[in-house]
Amino acid sequence: MRITGWSGGLAAAGLLLAGCGGGPGGGGGAISDGGVTLAVLNDQSGIYADTSGRSSIEAVKMAVDDYKAKYGDKAVATKIEVTGADHQNKPEIANSKAQELYDRQHADVILDVPTSSAALAVATVAKNKKKVFIDVGAASTELEGKSCNKYTFHYGYNSYMLAHGTGTEVTKAGAKNWYIVYPDYAFGQDMTKTFSAAIKGAGGSVVGSDPTPFPNDNFSTFLLKAPGLDPKPQVLGTMHAGGDLVNLVKQYNEYKLRDKNVTLAIGLLLLSDIHSLGPDALAGTRYTTMWTWNFDEKTRAWADRFQAKLNKRPTANMAANYSAALQYLEAVQRAGTDNADKVVAQLEGQKVEDMFVRNGTIRAQDHLLLHDSYLAEVKGSADVKEPYDYEKVLNTIPAAEAFQPQPDPACKL
Amino acid sequence: MILSRLARSGRGGIVLLVLGLLAALVLPWLIYPPVALDIACWALFAAAVDLLLGFTGLLSFGHAAFWGGSAYCTGLIVLHGGMPFPVAIIGGALFAALLALPIGLLSVRLTGIYFAMVTLAFAQMIYFVANQWRDVTGGENGLQGIPREFLGLDLSDPFFFYYAGLPFVLAGLFAAWRIVRSPFGRVLVSIRDNPARARALGYPVERYRLLAFVLSAALAGTAGGVFAIGHGFAALDGLYWTTSGQVVMMVILGGIGTLWGGAIGAAIVVQLQDFLATAGFEGVGIVTGSIFIVIVLLFRRGIWGTARHLLISRRQADPPVSPAAGAAEEPVESPEPAPAPASPHPAGD
Repeated sequence: MRITGWSGGLAAAGLLLAGCGGGPGGGGGAISDGGVTLAVLNDQSGIYADTSGRSSIEAVKMAVDDYKAKYGDKAVATKIEVTGADHQNKPEIANSKAQELYDRQHADVILDVPTSSAALAVATVAKNKKKVFIDVGAASTELEGKSCNKYTFHYGYNSYMLAHGTGTEVTKAGAKNWYIVYPDYAFGQDMTKTFSAAIKGAGGSVVGSDPTPFPNDNFSTFLLKAPGLDPKPQVLGTMHAGGDLVNLVKQYNEYKLRDKNVTLAIGLLLLSDIHSLGPDALAGTRYTTMWTWNFDEKTRAWADRFQAKLNKRPTANMAANYSAALQYLEAVQRAGTDNADKVVAQLEGQKVEDMFVRNGTIRAQDHLLLHDSYLAEVKGSADVKEPYDYEKVLNTIPAAEAFQPQPDPACKL
Repeated sequence: MILSRLARSGRGGIVLLVLGLLAALVLPWLIYPPVALDIACWALFAAAVDLLLGFTGLLSFGHAAFWGGSAYCTGLIVLHGGMPFPVAIIGGALFAALLALPIGLLSVRLTGIYFAMVTLAFAQMIYFVANQWRDVTGGENGLQGIPREFLGLDLSDPFFFYYAGLPFVLAGLFAAWRIVRSPFGRVLVSIRDNPARARALGYPVERYRLLAFVLSAALAGTAGGVFAIGHGFAALDGLYWTTSGQVVMMVILGGIGTLWGGAIGAAIVVQLQDFLATAGFEGVGIVTGSIFIVIVLLFRRGIWGTARHLLISRRQADPPVSPAAGAAEEPVESPEPAPAPASPHPAGD
């Protein structure tokens, strides 16, 4: 009984808060619910908290500031709110929270959403509620494939881009023979398939590929096997992430595989991973990234602003959330309204260029953002000039080659 | 779902039952409807686990297999069979019961930590099968976009769907209550308290345990099916061991062997997760963990168990309700003398 009262009180408080969040209704017809609300739904307490998390909320706030500064009195959206929710990597929480954000907090767009099952659940909610969803954090190509819909956009990176970039570019650079280890679940399997195709396409060959249990803390079997394969692989490709990646890299160093001329290529590597492992553990590792803060003047300027606020350098995901929020607000500005259908029409086929996106287009057929991505290498600590200065861009992969060249025929918007 | 607190104390039980039903009916007005449905589903799931843990003395750490397995099965029936969702939920529950049969056969001979470990191992096997069998389950993407239409009714509004899903939960809870109060349930309790004696009295202990296991799985499956339809997807983490852990935690919070306590545990955990999602606090695990520790330390019988204990000890000078069944019972010659009354329900029937 006590609990009913408690939860009732909590609910009442929640309702009250929601009411406040919505602000005064009415007013101009162009903007619904009295303002534009951007909601960042991601993992703020679990394994992805460092790669994006609450810092992305701050990045989105920066986008709001930039939008206001750019348009001033001419801004269509005068009252803009940024809110966040933690889905704790549970798809059911993502599902409920997404509904609540759209319905009760009057969110006009949901951003980020890592973890593919959560992202796909939110995509379904967006479709049902006819509200915009721009996914940044999930890698699954199903978002622009079988599960695509009119209101969902995929912004930044996906498993195709990661695998294709590294696989093709590293092979072209002379490493013909690969040995791939991957975690035995969908992301790892997809990445390995795409990687292998890319390597073969570039004239290389996959000497062997082994699935590892997930999660796993001992990779010695695979690492000891690598140098003994015939022909001897020049590259060890790994599709692991998070704790598995950390374990694998540590053991890679313990077995001194680099000295045995087996270099390391990683499917998905973020600035926060390098920062926690230390650059020396990863020196020379090659990977594909959608952005790096130390790329040029524009990225640096933004990273400086970010650092002034949060006292650290941004990961690519945080920058992508900034850009997605900014492009959403630009679309609202062009449409003159926050009506989802009109904003979607403005985003479709739009050319995008900002500090995060170079040569970008939002493909109208599948709502995937195509943009330049980069093959990067981790610097050795001798080359690190300042904190977080770990990444060196080797070459740019043009937008047309970085992502799927054709939309997936399974996608019907 | 703070249903029918059938405190067995005379008329109070009726009052509590009415209050509980009322709470179940107004819940989506009080809190966000999808969250209300989550609470209802987890309440039934917790009751299913309590049926085993509190009344049969078996701590299953693998009930995620039945919850998640049924969620997938329910989703597949709707997606590929085009069946209305009630048929799918029943199908899912049957699937869970079928799945429980071989698992139960192989594990009911064990008790305590061994039983927990074996059920955990089976559940993890199911998890890996679902993870690998991507053509059917969608792998880590899960089974997405499960529609919920019934006889042309559009139930996409979670507020209305709550009332469509609630009958299944209530039916499940009623079934759990009937099982516990039936002669069959009494035998389960006696097996829990002293399996050697039950065997000596001629009861086939393993067969009773197996049946309890299968029934519990069917109820867990019902809950999982409603959950899958309610959310419109079945995801891999429903099969993961953390799901089993979460439901056991709910039972402990509410009170082992109380059946309705699980509903309170479910309400607390689900509300907490929902609240912490937007509370702007990073340590979700720290908060839930601390609350768990506090409750275990202060309310050793769980919240509902403690409340019931206080009520009863005030009303009558009877000995307290037999404490929650320990999971680690000894089959023969338990070190403590078994509680004398065969039933923990002094005022029952």
